[in-house]
Parts: sequence; structure tokens; C-alpha cells
Amino acid sequence: MSPDQIKFLVVDDFSTMRRIVKNLLKEIGYSNSDEAEDGAVALGKLKAQTYNFVVSDLNMPNMSGFELLANIRADPKLKHLPVLLVTAEAKKEDIITAAQMGASGYIVKPFTKATLEEKLNKIIAKMFA
Amino acid sequence: MQPENLKSGDSEDLEALFDSIAAESSQKPAIAANIDIEPEKVFQPGDEAIDDEDHDVFHRIGGLTRSLHDALRELGYDKAVEGAVDSLPDARARLAYIANLTGQAAEKVLAAVEVSQNLQDQIYARAKSLDMEFDRLFAQEMDVSEFRSHVLTTHQFLKDLQKDSMQTNSQLTEIMLAQDFHDLTGQVVNRIATMAQNLEDQLVKLLLAATPKERRPAVDEMWLSGPAVSTEGRTDICVDQNQVDDLLESLGF
Repeated sequence: MSPDQIKFLVVDDFSTMRRIVKNLLKEIGYSNSDEAEDGAVALGKLKAQTYNFVVSDLNMPNMSGFELLANIRADPKLKHLPVLLVTAEAKKEDIITAAQMGASGYIVKPFTKATLEEKLNKIIAKMFA
Repeated sequence: MQPENLKSGDSEDLEALFDSIAAESSQKPAIAANIDIEPEKVFQPGDEAIDDEDHDVFHRIGGLTRSLHDALRELGYDKAVEGAVDSLPDARARLAYIANLTGQAAEKVLAAVEVSQNLQDQIYARAKSLDMEFDRLFAQEMDVSEFRSHVLTTHQFLKDLQKDSMQTNSQLTEIMLAQDFHDLTGQVVNRIATMAQNLEDQLVKLLLAATPKERRPAVDEMWLSGPAVSTEGRTDICVDQNQVDDLLESLGF
């Protein structure tokens, strides 16, 4: 698999933000992406199909980004999946928790295309190292 | 964010405030009597009666306020109402955040549109000029040196067009990214809605406490059956508003 074939799952309860992230991914060169409106829907999709990368919000109804991350890391089939958190929560304790739970990266909203690209490329470089 | 007298809770401060207002209102006729009466003022026969009515209204309001204050304290609602009122400065700060964020988004979009429009105007003008040159070429009105110049201009235009397209695209990305205010403000709006719901809840309880006992059963049935406000109930704001309207109507408001 080459980097441009990576299949992304964009998780956010706001449809506008899902569109923004999907469009940015496309501009950066990753056009293979799917979306989910909360952690629960995302987990269902992750178990049913193959994805290579998760970009998730933290604060969502039904299942938060943290819960989704915990579920991913606890699942033998999903535990190695890169998870980039994109969130409005800028609290230090959240960032520390995310790192301790095994998040691959953490971006605070509002963010720029350059920030997303930089974090993505860093994580993807590790995937292909 | 709030005056110290509210922070300290009930009580002595509020009582002192209440007493001072009550004292002022009871002294009002005496104060009025000390004010110099304008010589040209003509007194009408009913004036004295109006003064008495004013006095009576002051006392009634004072009495009602005292009963409400005591009843609320007995029922423990004073703290709840105070808590609800405490949330208002936070709501104001959040609304200011929304205004700021939406303002920034609008500015960003307008700036990006202006840059893009400028680029498009230039592209249009240059394309139009080249098109006219081509018309001259096809009409065989162009000599060799003009043709050479035309070819070079066209080539430069194509180079600049690629650069301008990329720049326009980057402005479009800016416009797209500016829409993230929807997510950010949406989260804040949801929090304010919850806050408003809590405030409404406390005010309804306050209203209940002030409702005559014989009218409470109907109100209780409408408001107090079942558990405290559920998440589902909280999101369904229209239904709650209807309930508020019905309640207010039943109480004659």
C-alpha cells in the first residue's frame, strides 16, 4: 500500500467539520476517506471494514473520542491503528490523557491545512518506516 | 464575576438590603412631604388618595417580597436560584466568544473573497485582451513582430494562470477552513442551551413556590411528575417552551 491509498475514517459530530477534514485530506493528497458522526458509529465501521487511519474529534455524544481511542487500543485487531485527535479541547490534562492513552497526534481547533499536513505526514512516515 | 453580597449566600446581606429598601419605602411619604412644593402647582381633590395608594402599593410589594424571600429560603430554592443566576456571566462570556469567532470567520471569508475576486478580475482582463489579439491574428491583421509578441504574452499568461489558480485555490481553502466556526460555536451554543434550561428550571420552581397552594396540583402534574429533567427532555426545547407557556397561562400571566 502506498501513502495515497491510505483509507481514513473521519469522526466528528459536526458534519461541517467532517467535510472540512475530508476536503483537507483530499487537498493534501489522501482522497480515500469515510466518515462517522460519533465514536460508537466509528467503532462499528472500524470493526466491519478496513481503515488505515482515524482522525477523530474528542467531544462527541454517545461515545467520546477518548472512549473510541480506548476501544481501539483494547481491540487486538485495531490496536495498531494510528489515531489523530482533532479537538477544540485545549486543556493540558486532556492532551496528557490522550498521549497516555496512545493517541498518535493531537491537533487543537481551529487549525490550518499546514498543521494537519505536518502531523499527518509525521504519523504516516512512521507507518511506512 | 459577581457582587460579593451574592457570593456570601443569603442572608444577612440580603436581609439588610431588604430591610433598607423596606425602610426607605415606608419613609417615602415623609420624604415627599419635605420636598418644596412648586408654588404654581395646583392640587386636585384626588391627590391625597393617590399618595395613599402609592404607599399601599409599596407596602404590598414589600410584604410580597418578604414572603417570597422567606418561602424560598425555607424551601431551599434561594441557593438554586443563586446558582442559576451565577451561570449568567459564564453565558455572557460564551456568547462573546461566539460573536468573536463568527466575526473572525466572516472577516477571513471576506478577505479571501476579495483576494480571489482581484485575481479573477486580472485573469478576465488579460484573457479578454488575448482573445482580441487572436481575433486580429485570425483576421490576418497581425504582422510578424506583433505575432511574436502575442505568442510571448500568451505563454506568460498561461504561466501566470497556473500560479493564480493555485492562489485562488488556496483562498478557497481558507474559506473552507473558516467554516470551522460552526463546530466551535455549536459546542458553545449547546452549553448555553443547557445553562438556559437550568435557569428556566429554577425559575419555574420559584414560580411554583409562589403559586397559591390550591393551584399547585395542576402545576405539579404538569411539571413535577417523573424524574428530574432528562437529557432527552433537555434537547427538546420546543416541548419545554410549550410547557412554560401553558404554565404561565394557567397562572394568568
